[in-house]
Amino acid sequence: MGIESWPDATIDRRAFQRELWYAGQNLLGDPGSGAADLTVIRFTFAGGEGEAIVRVRHGEGEPARAALACIDSVDGEPIGLRVRGTSGTIRAASEKYLGRRGQGFEKRNVVFDNVERVAVVRNESVDVRLDGTFVGATDLD
Amino acid sequence: MYEAVHAYPDGESTVARLAKTAAEYGFEGVVVRNHTTDRAAYDADRISEAYGIDVVAGVEIRADDPQQASGAVGNHRPETTIVAVEGGTTALNRFAVENEKVDVLAGPMTAQGDFNHVLANAAVDNGVRIEFDLSQVLRASGGRRVRAIQSLRKLHEIVDYYDTPYVVSGVPTSHLELRGPRELRAVGEQIGLSTAFVEDGLAEWGCLADRNRRVRSDSFIEPGVEHGRYDDDG
Repeated sequence: MGIESWPDATIDRRAFQRELWYAGQNLLGDPGSGAADLTVIRFTFAGGEGEAIVRVRHGEGEPARAALACIDSVDGEPIGLRVRGTSGTIRAASEKYLGRRGQGFEKRNVVFDNVERVAVVRNESVDVRLDGTFVGATDLD
Repeated sequence: MYEAVHAYPDGESTVARLAKTAAEYGFEGVVVRNHTTDRAAYDADRISEAYGIDVVAGVEIRADDPQQASGAVGNHRPETTIVAVEGGTTALNRFAVENEKVDVLAGPMTAQGDFNHVLANAAVDNGVRIEFDLSQVLRASGGRRVRAIQSLRKLHEIVDYYDTPYVVSGVPTSHLELRGPRELRAVGEQIGLSTAFVEDGLAEWGCLADRNRRVRSDSFIEPGVEHGRYDDDG
């Protein structure tokens, strides 16, 4: 799966695993989350972008997907996430779905709403710093 | 499938960023449903072309009472493809479903809002779509979330029984709050909304946009031809 947040967010594997368990328990209950398993196998995150492999028991893909969808923040950092695909083995999953991270990011001055701002630019995505928070934009804005 | 979003300054991401992310997630379109007080400035055609996704001009009317809402509907109807009214009180819910100029009753069960068979029948008569707002399921926790799920289940029973038109949305206010169609379907399944139900509800935004654009363009092509009510079949 792919994970996204604001550029200044730091998220580690342990925190992500904890949120995943909470999400599972809250949405699926103890029996459901026990059945789904929900174990983070691989996790990388830097500069507001990351990816992970989550192991799920066979046949529990949809409940697990629902639990994942309900993780809205990790350690108070809002996160976006999307399941890129599912595979029968970890190796197949990492070959097929990992390593899609962009060419990194750079800081740049941009003009947003007619005011010059500092922004973090990654591919075509631009996160503009606005008085302590960020606004998600793109190079079209 | 379409998602209806609050974009900057009503949310934390611009229309372009939401559209870009939505396209990556597999949506066919986004409806910009900013509140009247925080309208977004954007070039829908340019964004649509850049990311290969339909961008629909919408508005969500937040009003204190039906009278105020009525004025706002009149103001925004002519230049907006999808007009939604934020529900949440008995009076506003009632106003929305009884007004054929309204496309969507947004969040009927939030705040003190409630829904019943009378409103369901009125919504059917006027072709007003009832929104299933999944935002609390996705982003709230504890008692608030339990109450949100309860309300959605109740709404589902009524809408299902009276065959009321409806839409489904996760109501994202940033690209980070967006969840893909498969994820929304999976969440729906857990709270008792079937995958087909969620899928149809997400697609309905697109049907509405198509219908309203057709109605508007038809009248443009043939001036002098009088239009009565919209078709209710969508």
